Amino acid sequence: MNCPNCGVEHYPAPGGGRTAPAKGGACPYKGTAYAGLRAGHDQIYFGRWRGMDANSIDLRRAYHQLERLLREIAVALEKEDVPAARLDLGKAFDALRAAGPGEEGPEVLRHLDHALSYAHRVIGDLLHEKGLAPHSPADFAGWFDAAEVPFREDW
Amino acid sequence: MIPLDRYPKEITLRDDARAVLRPMRSEDADGLWNFLRQLPEIDKSHFHEDVDRREVVERWATSLDYDAVLPILAIHGERVVGSATLFRNKTGWKQRIGIVRILISPDHRHLGLGTAMIREIRHLGEKVGLNYLLAEVIEEQQAAVRALERMGFEKAVVHRNFVNDRKGDLHNLVVLLHPMSGLVK
Repeated sequence: MNCPNCGVEHYPAPGGGRTAPAKGGACPYKGTAYAGLRAGHDQIYFGRWRGMDANSIDLRRAYHQLERLLREIAVALEKEDVPAARLDLGKAFDALRAAGPGEEGPEVLRHLDHALSYAHRVIGDLLHEKGLAPHSPADFAGWFDAAEVPFREDW
Repeated sequence: MIPLDRYPKEITLRDDARAVLRPMRSEDADGLWNFLRQLPEIDKSHFHEDVDRREVVERWATSLDYDAVLPILAIHGERVVGSATLFRNKTGWKQRIGIVRILISPDHRHLGLGTAMIREIRHLGEKVGLNYLLAEVIEEQQAAVRALERMGFEKAVVHRNFVNDRKGDLHNLVVLLHPMSGLVK
């Protein structure tokens, strides 16, 4: 069941025993700026398509989730004067197109990964314009079925 | 003229502390000098002048020309904790290339300040119609290299044993380029 707040399927937070979709009201994104974009990003970031056992359905799902996320980012970006973010969003769409909706293989993974990285950068730009800290998926890892966080570092 | 109406700009760091970004002003000489003095030696090695000398920093502060050198300072409380400088040529074949230098106080690293400064410089570079941003970083400064790469800079070349620090030891120099939207169009 998906979270009524952000639409993403959460899992119990570590040690918390809370399950947002089932009981509601505990969405970790609630109250954050660009909650939908953050949640949409993390759903893909922690998605099965990145796992060793990912299949073609996982890839296709990731493609469509990314497509939806990029469209939502484009809408958010319309109201902002952030040319660097527009450039990155264009690159994200290019990478998504290069991946293709029904394709498989390491190249597809790479393109999807690039599209997601560009999307993350644009979300960071939107948050920066509002004076907020960048979005870190690691902060929300406990709410997803994530075995590990790929990296967490900052400068 | 470079548009500066977005300043002062408040940002949030990863520890929820707030910092203010704004262009350097003539009265910032003391703050900048104190900031530069506490940087590690390796961070100071690419300055063309001895930044431990107060008169050098005072001269910078009294000869500001934002169209040639735009230093954006990060202020936390009363302290300068970071600087991002955009160097531009007003004429000539490099007038659409902006050179970037970003310095972060050691006690304010890994809080996202460096990344925020890169975002600012990218924004300013777009606003003045640059084709490229160029950053030169000593290879040991891996956090800076990774942050620049994550923000869209691409390694153009690594010069081996190319630059020396203030003790004379040689270091690899990483040159990174960021293509801007005017060029991509």
